[in-house]
Amino acid sequence: MRAATPASAASVSPVQGSYTEPVGGPPRLRRFSWRWWAHSWRDRPLWMLLPATLALLLISIAPVLLMVWLSFLNLTVSTLRQFVTAPFYGLQNFVDAFTEPSSLGVTLGWSIFISFAFSLMATVLTAPIGLIAAMSVHNRFNGRGLVRAIYLLPYIIPGIVTALMARIVFMNNSGLVDKVLGGLGLISHNTYWLLGPHAFWAMELTELWSSWPFIYLMALAGLQAIPIEQLESSALDGAGAWQRLRHIVLPQLSNVLKLAVLLATLYHFANFTLVFVMFGSPPPAGAEVLPISMYYNAFDFFNFGLAAAIAVITVIILIIPGYVYLRSARLAKMEA
Amino acid sequence: MGARRSTRTGQQARGSRRFARSRPELLMPPWLRRLVVAVLAVTVLVPIGYMALMSFVPNNDVALGIISTSVLTVRNYVDMWSAAPLAAGLLHTVIIAGSAAALSVVVALLASYPLTRFRFRGRRVYLYSLVALQMVPGTTTVLPLFAVLSWVQTTLSAHLIGTYFPIIVTYMTFGVPLSTWLLVSYMRALPRSLEEAAMVDGCSPLGALRRVVLPLVVPAMAVAFVFAFLVGWNDVLFASVFTNNSTQTLAMALERFSSTNEIAGAPVYGELMSASVVTTLPVVGLYLLLQRYLVTGLAAGSLAG
Repeated sequence: MRAATPASAASVSPVQGSYTEPVGGPPRLRRFSWRWWAHSWRDRPLWMLLPATLALLLISIAPVLLMVWLSFLNLTVSTLRQFVTAPFYGLQNFVDAFTEPSSLGVTLGWSIFISFAFSLMATVLTAPIGLIAAMSVHNRFNGRGLVRAIYLLPYIIPGIVTALMARIVFMNNSGLVDKVLGGLGLISHNTYWLLGPHAFWAMELTELWSSWPFIYLMALAGLQAIPIEQLESSALDGAGAWQRLRHIVLPQLSNVLKLAVLLATLYHFANFTLVFVMFGSPPPAGAEVLPISMYYNAFDFFNFGLAAAIAVITVIILIIPGYVYLRSARLAKMEA
Repeated sequence: MGARRSTRTGQQARGSRRFARSRPELLMPPWLRRLVVAVLAVTVLVPIGYMALMSFVPNNDVALGIISTSVLTVRNYVDMWSAAPLAAGLLHTVIIAGSAAALSVVVALLASYPLTRFRFRGRRVYLYSLVALQMVPGTTTVLPLFAVLSWVQTTLSAHLIGTYFPIIVTYMTFGVPLSTWLLVSYMRALPRSLEEAAMVDGCSPLGALRRVVLPLVVPAMAVAFVFAFLVGWNDVLFASVFTNNSTQTLAMALERFSSTNEIAGAPVYGELMSASVVTTLPVVGLYLLLQRYLVTGLAAGSLAG
């Protein structure tokens, strides 16, 4: 059996055997002594974790903690270099973020709203597309490999290229969308997708185009785990195509789909490249998602304290879905 | 294989209305499948085809929307190298993303061995935090890292931002958890009996890792390397903050190129599209090679930036 499926390849044993872990497992932790330590350096080389731990502490965990501190400081371009001595600002950055429009002209509340609308809408609309796509290439047919490769293309094209492509596709008057839809008389030739109130929809459509294959990949992996015998025996029992889908396929996909939907939402929420590259600087109000708001406040307007406050809010928003994801990771038996 | 194909065509001939009873494993009747495939393939291919077509159209014609087959030219693919520092960007990307990926894989190999072979306090927490760290969006780490680097720069009056060092380190933020995760899930499936045999013969765990495990995990290391490399290849956020003109990556060169204007005021769209095609091709090639590992890799790395 050649494991050509994405899901099984990830977890399949490279050596086809039925090895099971011994019940007792490796030796347990003991009380500290120098003799034990010298022995453990050689026989239980836990020190090998050190480089990874240091790297993760220094470049991932410490920055997030530091950011919380930065969000309480009055941090501008003049104080950034000496942020250790920057004046304490209390919660003023958070108050400012929510009450005053930033230099981009929008408040944090607006950015949160746009981010939620953008990511939830993308998830809700890509989920059925991805599921249907997975069902369409699950069964064998001539040219299936080619179709699967085509399905992957939007996802594997670099984000920056997708954004640049969207710029010429949505270009006013001379772009593909205005030409085709304008030619059909559906929209005006001068819709200005990239400038005004339509910017949100241009961004949303591009995100839909580029992200549905993620759901497709996860759903396809889920479909391949469903034993064919279940479908056959239910057909013998008289279940029609729709009943088989409804009562056999979808229930078994639900865990994979939940995970995929959650990850996809987080991914939409964090998407910086698309908006940054697709629109000019500064981006239109309809495209000012949280990552963009953070970036422009920090690196264009040099209000680092405010930007840190926005980043802290982003993390707080992500904690709940992140926790749910970790719980489901436990369900997926990630521990050995 | 041959037998299966002939039964399928035989059953197809009976008509799709009876598919439900005759072929219960089919999730869609063939006519619906063809419709879905056609719609999705057209939706996917039209914008890509448009980009590819525009890469052969002179800059001004793209901006004005004058597209006729008589003006198609390969000049964009020649001129773009002098219009933007793409070759230098390519070199910087290979250096930066390559070293970040290589360092990540080495660090991950060291970490994944004790994580799969020994039981110790905090192991589970460690595994969970690997997953959690992959969810931290780049926009939350870029600012504090920038603040620390500016502070270090001022305090030590050293030159850091704009060199290779900070950008390599920040790409490891994603490379290390991603590669560790890939290697842990791969190594866990390797039978321990081989190492145990080696240790019975007097090998230390480190020796067993080097002589027995390492040769077996080379494929997983290659996959981890490619995924970690692509994080650097695709990133714009960190590159826009931590690189300058002398270290900018290919993506960054492309981004800056996209905001420069020609004399007429319109960006150089034709060359921009040819540069985009060139940026895309290696990535598509690598992904199609690694299709089998996509679910693990993408689920882990999908939040990189």
